[in-house]
Amino acid sequence: MTDTLISLISVFIGILGGLSFGFLFKSYSSGVIGNTIAGVFGSILFIKVFGRLGFNPQAIMQSGSVNMLLFVINMLVSFFGGAIAVFLSYKLKTKFNK
Amino acid sequence: MEDMIFYDRLQFAFTITFHYIFPQLTMGLSLIIVFYKGLYLRKKVEKYNDAAKFLMKIFAINFTMGVITGIPMEFQFGTNWAKFSELTGGIIGQTLAMEGMFSFFLESSFLALFIFGEKLMGQKLHFLTGFLVFLGSWASGWFILATNAWMQHPVGYEILDNGKYVLENFSALFTNPWLLPAFLHNQLASVVTSSFVVASIGAFYILRQKNIEYGKLFLKTGVIFGLISSLLVAFPTGDWNAKNVAKYQPASFAAMEGIFETEEAGAEIVLVGQPNMVEKKLDNKIAVPNILSFLTYQDWDKQIVGMDHFEEDELPDNIPALYYSYHIMVGLGTIFIGIMGLAGFFLWRKKLYTIKPLLWIIMFLVPFPYIANITGWYVAELGRQPYLVYGLLKTVDGVSPTVSSGNTLFTLLGFVALYMLLGLLFLVLVGKAIHQGPKHQTH
Repeated sequence: MTDTLISLISVFIGILGGLSFGFLFKSYSSGVIGNTIAGVFGSILFIKVFGRLGFNPQAIMQSGSVNMLLFVINMLVSFFGGAIAVFLSYKLKTKFNK
Repeated sequence: MEDMIFYDRLQFAFTITFHYIFPQLTMGLSLIIVFYKGLYLRKKVEKYNDAAKFLMKIFAINFTMGVITGIPMEFQFGTNWAKFSELTGGIIGQTLAMEGMFSFFLESSFLALFIFGEKLMGQKLHFLTGFLVFLGSWASGWFILATNAWMQHPVGYEILDNGKYVLENFSALFTNPWLLPAFLHNQLASVVTSSFVVASIGAFYILRQKNIEYGKLFLKTGVIFGLISSLLVAFPTGDWNAKNVAKYQPASFAAMEGIFETEEAGAEIVLVGQPNMVEKKLDNKIAVPNILSFLTYQDWDKQIVGMDHFEEDELPDNIPALYYSYHIMVGLGTIFIGIMGLAGFFLWRKKLYTIKPLLWIIMFLVPFPYIANITGWYVAELGRQPYLVYGLLKTVDGVSPTVSSGNTLFTLLGFVALYMLLGLLFLVLVGKAIHQGPKHQTH
């Protein structure tokens, strides 16, 4: 049950990653709306793809309680997923609009 | 066990209610976007293209929120409702997987192309991507409704010795007599929501004296789409659905209409009344005689069975909630027809943009189609009780025996907190998009 909550928190961290990246690197920003959307999809993509290495929500809760180390890794990956998605969406937008 | 079922149902009801705020807008909005893009291709007037792109931005925010709130739904099938998934996975797994594989990917891929690819693709292909987003979102509704239709009226299945349900006839899932009326009713109701949102944005711009050209366009489109869809939701699709409930779920029909006792010659339609579950009657009832029999069977004197005809354990377990949900949905639907009819009349008389009280009403009416849509789904889901799969699998037999009520309550509280944040974020983003306006992206 708690793994469901973890996956939602993870998405929020992804949004945070996207917004932070957009704030720090303004030239890559797609605005608050664009960065939020990119953050969500980046976070979900990264956790779905890399979470299978052992830090997806199910693995975090496998022992019955929260494995803090795996939880932190999950959040970090999600944060970077969100940030990278903002960068990639900028690149995509630039390429498409050349 | 009672506690466990209560919290499992409460959690599912909360998460699905919050989730359905978003898809009901995306499905209807995609149709209006395709309409604007088509108008632009035909007339080459830039404001139609701007309007399509502006609404796609709102679509994208909604779609993203729908994706986030859809995550717990996926998990809950496995956690809270593991027994249900184990027994019926061979059937509902088909349609749910098709929803993910075909519709979701179609919708999300072409959404990105629509947002980023206008210059690269040219206008005709840009229109096509918009159309494919529309197709994806409606196909998504089709597969979800096919799943729900099987739960409401199971067809084409076989029960194995181990109690599991498997498909005996794949095409029966999509020719289920429950599916088409439910799909049309649901999709048109989502067009009602979207029309009201678009009309509300238009009214807001006109009242604020900002983006007036777009305000008029949105108001006109919203009123025309809103009037047509509100009428079609009531008739023929709502009528068709009600007849299906009377035919396949007569106990639910009696409960939602508030018929406690079978009347020998012709059933009345209840306009107002409060179910009294102790005395098994409606208090303070206002009803019109014989109308329900006529609406259901086109026969003024046809008997409609009441709740007294059924065993207690065959009746929905929350009759007042079902009854009120149904009457709220129908009542709001009637109000929508009235308001949109009035707005349509003033639009025709070329006075709509100047009647401020009506503009204020249209602007503040926006939460009500959401309420009508959600109560409509409550009618379907509460009416199916006490079954998960009507007549086959009771709700009590579908829960996971190992998940404690405390655990479910804890995660429910967590969802409430996170969804409040998400709701806030959604309002900020949509508010920002509306504040920027349609001109923002091109000028």
